[in-house]
Amino acid sequence: MSNTAPESRVPRGARGNAGTRFRRAGRTAGQGRAALRVFFVGGRISYRALFNWISPVMYVTTMLGSPLFQILFFTYLGRYAGSRSDDFFIVGNAVQVSAMAGIYGMVMGIANERQFGTLTPLLATPANRLAVFAGRALPNIVNGLVVSSFGFAASWLLLDFSPDAASLPALAFVVVVTVVSCTALGMLIGSIGLRARDVFFAANLVYFLMLLFCGVNVDVDSLPGWMEAIGRSVPLTHGIEAARRVVEGATLGDVRGLIVTEALIGIAYAVAAYVLFRFFEAESRRRASLETF
Amino acid sequence: MNVVEAVDLRRTYKTTTGTIRRRSLEVEAVRGISFAIAEGELFGLLGPNGAGKTTTIKMLITLLIPTSGEARVLGHDVVEDARWVRERIGYVFGGDRGLYERLSAMDNLRYFAELYGVEPKGQRARIDELLELVGLKGREKERVEGYSRGMRQRLHIARGLLHDPPVVFLDEPTIGVDPVGARELRATIASLTASGKTVLLTTHYMFEADALCDRIAVIANGEIVAQGTPQELKAGVADGSVVEVEVFGVEERSVERLRQLAGVRAVTVEDQEQKQLLIVQTAPGLELTHAILSQLDGASVGRVSSREPTLEDAYVALVTAA
Repeated sequence: MSNTAPESRVPRGARGNAGTRFRRAGRTAGQGRAALRVFFVGGRISYRALFNWISPVMYVTTMLGSPLFQILFFTYLGRYAGSRSDDFFIVGNAVQVSAMAGIYGMVMGIANERQFGTLTPLLATPANRLAVFAGRALPNIVNGLVVSSFGFAASWLLLDFSPDAASLPALAFVVVVTVVSCTALGMLIGSIGLRARDVFFAANLVYFLMLLFCGVNVDVDSLPGWMEAIGRSVPLTHGIEAARRVVEGATLGDVRGLIVTEALIGIAYAVAAYVLFRFFEAESRRRASLETF
Repeated sequence: MNVVEAVDLRRTYKTTTGTIRRRSLEVEAVRGISFAIAEGELFGLLGPNGAGKTTTIKMLITLLIPTSGEARVLGHDVVEDARWVRERIGYVFGGDRGLYERLSAMDNLRYFAELYGVEPKGQRARIDELLELVGLKGREKERVEGYSRGMRQRLHIARGLLHDPPVVFLDEPTIGVDPVGARELRATIASLTASGKTVLLTTHYMFEADALCDRIAVIANGEIVAQGTPQELKAGVADGSVVEVEVFGVEERSVERLRQLAGVRAVTVEDQEQKQLLIVQTAPGLELTHAILSQLDGASVGRVSSREPTLEDAYVALVTAA
């Protein structure tokens, strides 16, 4: 009778491979956990570190006050012109103001690393880059939803905006998709900020061009062809259109095409932003451009 | 076993000048340097500003790709295995920047603990241990924007050690820190090798390298001009002597004439408020005091003294000759 332990009868190569596989799987699981923590915990801490308007006074004036007056301005202007209903301007602007967080917040969350001189120590870490990058978006998405919700709530209070209660869940879903998509555009501008010096100029420009190109206050269909083409290829446009139709009584199924298009545009911008971020990181190693503009 | 190895490492930068007629220039920051650091050794890379110290360290910590040559940390190539290397090295740099100003020291460390994948269970204990080590315990909840330069520097060190790396790169960690703070930082650096870590320190403070380093490589114009223990480097100039002359209003052409004087190895000028201190290194067996004074026409001369060369003189002679 052999006294050899059962496991020792496993062929040596096979045992080694199984061990290697287990070790590799364990390591991958560990890396996955670490990446999730970088995404959630790291994203939250970096938001506090890099978002310039985090103090209560700055937040209220910039993230709530400014959007509120934007909604009031365009709605009263619309009333004066008598071109469209209040709801047209309220929905358009209340969705667009989420770009305050999506665009400016993301630009700060990425480009400020360079301005603050923290990009070098950040890139010297082994952290999963996708988790680092995407983690910056989550707090800005939440913030965008807060800003947009505030815009709708203020419109209900001050402008008699009163959509059917049954349409609110669908409206909320459309707004979530649009805010995520808009944040992806912010990611792209933020990535450009890793190379360009005055990226806040670009952020300002994009924010205000959105008012024109994305159908916020003027129907996209009524714009010249080239402007409409631009409008239809950037985040926000399809989301605003879907939100308006939902407020008018359409179901999610009715606006599915618009929502999917908005989501796909957002994904495309997010991918482009991440590719650009990795490209600039690789370039900085090749061309020593980490701290130069 | 060599923990850090650089073999014929080179790094060239391309830069442009001019606005309309842009001209491309190639700058050789590091010109084929080689050195090796053994386990547990504190190795100093010493050189003046712009000598190539930071470029070298950035190649070793994977932030720059060498133009040619090879660099390995713990046997792994810094280009091919960048992530593997990053997990096992700590990087500390000098200066005010590089910290999240609006966050407390605790949050700065928590964030980097996440980035370095420090296990959540052990994070708090590790951060407490490091705050204790660098003397920031009790101040960890204050925002970094209110920190002095010395406190920031200590926080940089704590951050670089979060994941308990076996190899630590310190890039001018005491730059701009007051003498008391710098002394405390040097004590912390010395404790790193005592705990078994291998350390590469760049500095342009001679006495710092002398006090801390087991071995030193002197780098000038992107090349290593000397390498050895502090004693070996001192021995290189020990056969000469140094004449120090206090002068008021010495002109550059007089200094240049001194450099041309037979038997003079190196001349440096230190500005000291209204006066300058001329430090003249001379070859052995020569009495050059009169010859030196005769070249200083037009300048008022104060105290004149002669002394044995120090490690700083060795450094100056090496860098000047490069």
